Amino acid sequence: MIISIARKEFTEIVRDGRFKWTAAIMVLLLITAMLAGYQKYSTATRIQQAAQASTNEQWLNQGDKNPHSAAHFGNYAFKPAGPLAYFDNGISNYAGTAVFMEAHKENFAIGRPATDQSEIARFGDLSGANILQLLLPLLIIFLGFTAFSGERESGTLRQVLSMGVTNRQLLWGKALGVGTAVMVVVVPCLLAGSIVLSMAGSVDHTEDMGTRIALLSAAYLMYAGIFLFLTLAVSALTKHARTTLMVLIGFWAFTGFLMPKTASEISKFTNPTPAFGKWMADMRTHQMRGFDGVPPFVKFAKYTREVFKKYGVDKVADLPMYFVAVRLQKLEEYDYPVFDQHYGMIRNAYAEQRRVQDRFGLIDPTLPLRSISMAIAGTDLIQHVKFMTEAEAYRRNMVIKMNDYLSKAAVSLNATSSSSNYMRADEKVFARVPPFEFEPPRLGDIVAEHRSNFILLALWLAAAIGIALFAVNRIDMERN
Amino acid sequence: MLKLIISHEARQMMRTGALWSILALLVAAIVFAAWAGGRSIRRQVEGAQAAETFENGLRNHMRADTEKYQARVKAQGGEYQFAAVRHSPGKGPPQGTNAGAVGAETSKYVTLPPTGLAALSVGQSDIQLNYLPVSLATTLDMTKNLELENPVNLATGSFDIAFVVIFLLPIFILAMSYDLLSSEKERGTLAMILAHPVSIRELLASKIISRAAVMLTVVLGFGVIALFAIGTGLDTADTWIRFGLWIVATLLYSMFWFALAVLINVYGRNSASNGTVLAGIWLILVVIVPQLVSMLATTIYPTPSRMELTIASRAAQTDAEKHYMSKLDEYYYDHLEFIPEGDKKAMDFLTLSQANNNSIEKALRPLYDDFQEQLNKQETLVQRFQFLSPAIMMQLALNEISGTSSDRYEYFLDQVYAFHDQWKEYFSTKFLQRYPLKPADYDNFPEFQYREQPFGAVMARLGPSLLGMLILFLGLVLVPFLALHNYQVASR
Repeated sequence: MIISIARKEFTEIVRDGRFKWTAAIMVLLLITAMLAGYQKYSTATRIQQAAQASTNEQWLNQGDKNPHSAAHFGNYAFKPAGPLAYFDNGISNYAGTAVFMEAHKENFAIGRPATDQSEIARFGDLSGANILQLLLPLLIIFLGFTAFSGERESGTLRQVLSMGVTNRQLLWGKALGVGTAVMVVVVPCLLAGSIVLSMAGSVDHTEDMGTRIALLSAAYLMYAGIFLFLTLAVSALTKHARTTLMVLIGFWAFTGFLMPKTASEISKFTNPTPAFGKWMADMRTHQMRGFDGVPPFVKFAKYTREVFKKYGVDKVADLPMYFVAVRLQKLEEYDYPVFDQHYGMIRNAYAEQRRVQDRFGLIDPTLPLRSISMAIAGTDLIQHVKFMTEAEAYRRNMVIKMNDYLSKAAVSLNATSSSSNYMRADEKVFARVPPFEFEPPRLGDIVAEHRSNFILLALWLAAAIGIALFAVNRIDMERN
Repeated sequence: MLKLIISHEARQMMRTGALWSILALLVAAIVFAAWAGGRSIRRQVEGAQAAETFENGLRNHMRADTEKYQARVKAQGGEYQFAAVRHSPGKGPPQGTNAGAVGAETSKYVTLPPTGLAALSVGQSDIQLNYLPVSLATTLDMTKNLELENPVNLATGSFDIAFVVIFLLPIFILAMSYDLLSSEKERGTLAMILAHPVSIRELLASKIISRAAVMLTVVLGFGVIALFAIGTGLDTADTWIRFGLWIVATLLYSMFWFALAVLINVYGRNSASNGTVLAGIWLILVVIVPQLVSMLATTIYPTPSRMELTIASRAAQTDAEKHYMSKLDEYYYDHLEFIPEGDKKAMDFLTLSQANNNSIEKALRPLYDDFQEQLNKQETLVQRFQFLSPAIMMQLALNEISGTSSDRYEYFLDQVYAFHDQWKEYFSTKFLQRYPLKPADYDNFPEFQYREQPFGAVMARLGPSLLGMLILFLGLVLVPFLALHNYQVASR
């Protein structure tokens, strides 16, 4: 019985003009988005890999110079595009892509692609993820809103019920019918996309690609299911098809447009990030004052006395290490806690803001889906923050390596007071710093971080099915 | 007659819950947007002030040192001298006398002031830093500073009044008018009404006018309230001219959506199918076309890769170093403070560092100009393709009116570059002359004052958007009103 209801529903939808138009638009957009995304991100990946290799070459071939000068020349970390960036580019346009790693300073990632785009880029990117998050629900609504209320209006609902079909059978049959019609549009595009991707093979981390695609498919299927059952529920609850449509479109606009921005503004209010100017002024003041209120130069004077005492000397010239290098390294280390606090504050605020926004997933299924989608695509905050953290760890190690070498290799310079005498190092010394390599977060960690979002989606699906069952159970012969 | 139908329509609307819930939502959205937009602009202003205060503090500190030094020279006799290198406190002239040090170690923050309407449309102001540090460093370093905002929030976009007007207002308009004629037809009342001495044109016009009147009164009324609550510079003519333009744009944009609803009602079938078509058109015009145009712009005129630029700039840096400096100079170039006291070389290092900055900037400027050129081409393309979607026209118009467009930012940047030259000229000349800066000189450092874009330039960019919306509206209105005489009154 369910199958024949489904077949009737499916045939009716496919024969309708609505289906042809919406399906054609959807297919065209999905294919365009996937191709454009693929073209963009395969180029980006190629450039990123070449750039990361070149920057290491440049580090090694910067010419013979003082190791500390080399640390000033520094190195760059270039952020790789996430493994599924071509499908969901997440925050990629708005997060920096390169971190300058230099002596004395922690830096933010620079080079946000959005600054190289026109104003209307703010309307959003036409990506596969965006289309599925916004257009797929609308497609489901369009194809399914008449399922009950349309039949009620034309009087066929009464007829169907008189034939002894149970309300539940009707629901499952219709869900199957509408669902199949939707899948007929979407699945071929996605399959084509996955096949092209696997054939091209230009993307790294392929070992967990299958799992990623499976997880993404599961999340989007649940999302589609939520809208499918809500559409049927509203259709069963409302008298007229036009009311069904208005309620559903209202809900769609609420979830897709109104709520994400509302959640974002509210998270900015509950966990504000300081303006750049304020943050910069605070941090630099803190640096000058010293993390614990003791200025770096005072701290270093105390340290110098301790070193003198330890080695039993009373002037720098007698020390067994090059004291200028020791001083450089000490000053560097006095800044660590200041950087950790101020940069950490920004990172924490971002993470907290994301959690606040995820909580709005209780009233908007699009939010948890969006978070899951960009996390699995490797284009979300978790990925970005890990990149920034690794770049800073690399920077600290690079500076330590150079200052350390200098302090040991230039001991004889302690006694000189002329600027015409200094130490010089070459490529072999610079090679003590290994090339920067970003280790993307493991998929397991990503999924664990988003466990609550998966739960939210599942809850939404359960609730949608529950409401739909409740709604069809209310349908009876008398009232129709 | 028209008046009678309008008042009848108005009474009927007042009785339905739908109108009140739509208006309540609209008002809530405007209030929320005003609150959020106001916060965003306040944050920028506070950031600019904090940065400026900090850097001024550094300079004041140097100035205080020169004052003490001047007093000492006066008391002890001798010459007021120029500090060649950093001295330990108490000994010799302080760094504040050295124009090269003052110009390199402190920055002058220059600010693009928000217009009175900035909070209404955040536009690009959340990604472009509206206050920049000018120093002897290169302009390339200067523009690397970014506003701190969660990239997730940037990707989501602001909930500002521009969002309410561009995205939500059309939904509310369509929700109120998707079934203007179709619902009467479905209830069977249309034929009855038209049996009275009233034409279908009059009926349609009065239905639209009553709805538009209610809607626009609310939007404009709360627009004014929002302006008083969060706007700045309420006493300047500029703010009110901009607000006038905001009203014109909002009216044109809303009228387009009302006209569209009429069109679909005239040609459409039942209410449900009208609703489907209108929702589809909304999605296409407000979401899909803008995204497609943006994609087109970045595909046809892609900017070069920032990563490749970084590699090129490092190559230029290494090149400059190899040509301009001996290895020794390079080391002290980074750390002037380690130059042994009294070493004459110090001066040369500072000179070298400036020469080096100049040569790097000269080598890289063309590369950076490529970016700007591509971006300009993208913007020209968007300007041309904006007529495909009223949402694009409206977004460009509102950014322009609120002074948060890329165009105004570029206008600001040009002035900043000119100021950077002025600042560099002032400090490097004084430095090369070995002129010892006196406390009084601190009052005569170059000052930056943003000159607002000429009104004509704003209008020239605004004109096409406003005109485009007007033509679109008129075109939509004409078609259905001409076609109305064929309208089927009875349900098919």
